[in-house]
Amino acid sequence: MTGSALRLADIELTYNAENKAAHRALHELSAQFPAGSFTALVGPSGCGKSSLLRLLAGLQAPTQGQVETVAQQQIGYVFQEPALMAWKSVYDNVALPLRLADGANASDVDARTKEALQQVGLAARTSALPNELSGGMKMRVSLARALAKRPPVLLMDEPFAALDELTRFRLDDDLRAIWQQTGCTIVFVTHSVTEAAYLAERVYVMDVGSIAAELSIEQTGRGDNFRTAPAYHTACAAISKTLGHDFATGAD
Amino acid sequence: MRWLSPLIIGMALLGFWEIAVKQAEIPVFVLPPPSAIGAALVQHAATLAASLWVTVQVTAMAFFWAIVSGIGLAIIFTRSRLIEMTLYPYVVTLQVTPVVAIAPLILIWVGFDNVDRALVIIAWIVAFFPMLTNTVQGLRAVEPQLHDVMSLSGANWWQRLWHLELPSALPAILTGAKISGGLALIGAVVAEFVAGSGASTGLAWRIIEAGNRLEIALMFAALALLSVLGIALFYALTLLEYICLRRWHDSFR
Repeated sequence: MTGSALRLADIELTYNAENKAAHRALHELSAQFPAGSFTALVGPSGCGKSSLLRLLAGLQAPTQGQVETVAQQQIGYVFQEPALMAWKSVYDNVALPLRLADGANASDVDARTKEALQQVGLAARTSALPNELSGGMKMRVSLARALAKRPPVLLMDEPFAALDELTRFRLDDDLRAIWQQTGCTIVFVTHSVTEAAYLAERVYVMDVGSIAAELSIEQTGRGDNFRTAPAYHTACAAISKTLGHDFATGAD
Repeated sequence: MRWLSPLIIGMALLGFWEIAVKQAEIPVFVLPPPSAIGAALVQHAATLAASLWVTVQVTAMAFFWAIVSGIGLAIIFTRSRLIEMTLYPYVVTLQVTPVVAIAPLILIWVGFDNVDRALVIIAWIVAFFPMLTNTVQGLRAVEPQLHDVMSLSGANWWQRLWHLELPSALPAILTGAKISGGLALIGAVVAEFVAGSGASTGLAWRIIEAGNRLEIALMFAALALLSVLGIALFYALTLLEYICLRRWHDSFR
C-alpha cells in the first residue's frame, strides 16, 4: 500500500459565519502533503491545527478554498482521546469500521482486525472492554482501529498528548515503524516541539489561522537512538525558533 | 445485609403495629392489625389474584407502549429539529394536563365496551413522558468524536443509530424506564379510579369496593399487593440495568 497526496489551497474557514459568534479559524491557508510523507503540524493551542486536520478528513467543509483528499473510508483518524465505544470489546471497536465498509467479508475483517491488534501489541487483550485498559493501551486500540483500514492516509490529532513520556516515546517509535512498513501519508498534529522533530520528516509550523513556515528535518542518524543525534537537536532548535521561542532556555 | 436489615425492620414494625392496635383497642374498620390483613389476603386470594392480574396487564401494556413510543419519538426528534420543534409543545401539553381531567373523555371516546383499552391509554399518557425525554437526552449526549468515527467509517443513519446512538443512550433509556415503569403502575391505578364502576376489576377497583363496604382489611390487602407489584417492577428494572451496564458503564465501577 502506498500513500496518497493531499492538498489544501487558499482555505478560509469561519465557524458560525452567519451569526455574531463568527470565529475565523483558518485564513489564506495552503498546504501540500506529498504521497508517503510524514508531516508534523506544530503550533500553539487554538491556532487551527485540529481544524486543518478535520478539513483533510472531510469532517469539516471549508468556507472557501479547495481540499484535495481521499474518501473518508480511506482515512485512518486518531483523535486526542481514544474515542472508543465503552460497550464494545477491543476487538469489536477495531473491527467496526471494517464491518461497516461496503462489501466487507467476515474472514477479511477478522484477519485485518487481528493484524492491526498485533501491530500495536494488543493481540492478547482482544476481548477486554476499554475501561479495563490503561490510557496507553486505549490509545493503542484507537491506533489499531485506524490502521485496520489499511489507510493510504493517517491523520492524527495530538494522539499521545495525554500519555506519560515513556509511553509516548514507545508509541512514537511504533508509529515510525508503522509508517516505514506501510508507506502511508501521515499528518500528525502536536504541540510538542520534540515530538514533531522526532517523528516527522517535514514540519509545518502554524501561527494563528495560517502556516508560518515549512521546515524539513534532516534524517541522518535515523538508525537507532535518534533522540541523541545532532540532526534531532538541530530540528528542535529550528522549530522552536520559528515558534518564537529559544529552545535552549527550555521554553517548549 | 442488604436484604436482611430491611426485612428485620419490616418485621419489627409489623409486630409493633399488631400489638399497638390490640392494646389501644382500635376498631378493625379504622386500622386492622396485620394479622387481619393477612387473613383477608388469604380469604380473598382468588379475587385478589384475578384483580392483580388485571392491573399487571394494564401496567405492562402501558409500559410497553411508553417504551416503544418514547424511544420511537425520541429517534424521530433527534433526526429532525423541525419535527421536534413542531411536536414538542403538544407532547408537553399532553404531559402537563392532569390525566384525571382527560380520563373521562378517553373513556367516552374509546367506549365503555373497551374499558381495558381506555385504561391502557390513560396509564400510557402518564408513563410516556420520562421515556421520551430521557431517550432524547441520551441520544444527544453521544461523544462527538464517536460520531466522527462513524462518519469516517461511512456509516448510514441506521448503522449510526444501532452501533452508536442507542447503546450510548442505553443508560439514559434505562433510567427513563425505571421512572416510566413506576408511573405506568400509578397511571393504571388512577385510570381504574377514574373508570370507577365495575367495568374495571383491577386492584384499584378492589380498594374502592372494599372502602365502600368498610372492609378495611381487604383494602389494606389490595394496597399491599399494589406496593409489592411496584417494588417488583422497580427491582426488575434495576436488575436489567445491572445486567446491561455493569461491565462497561462508569456508574457500576
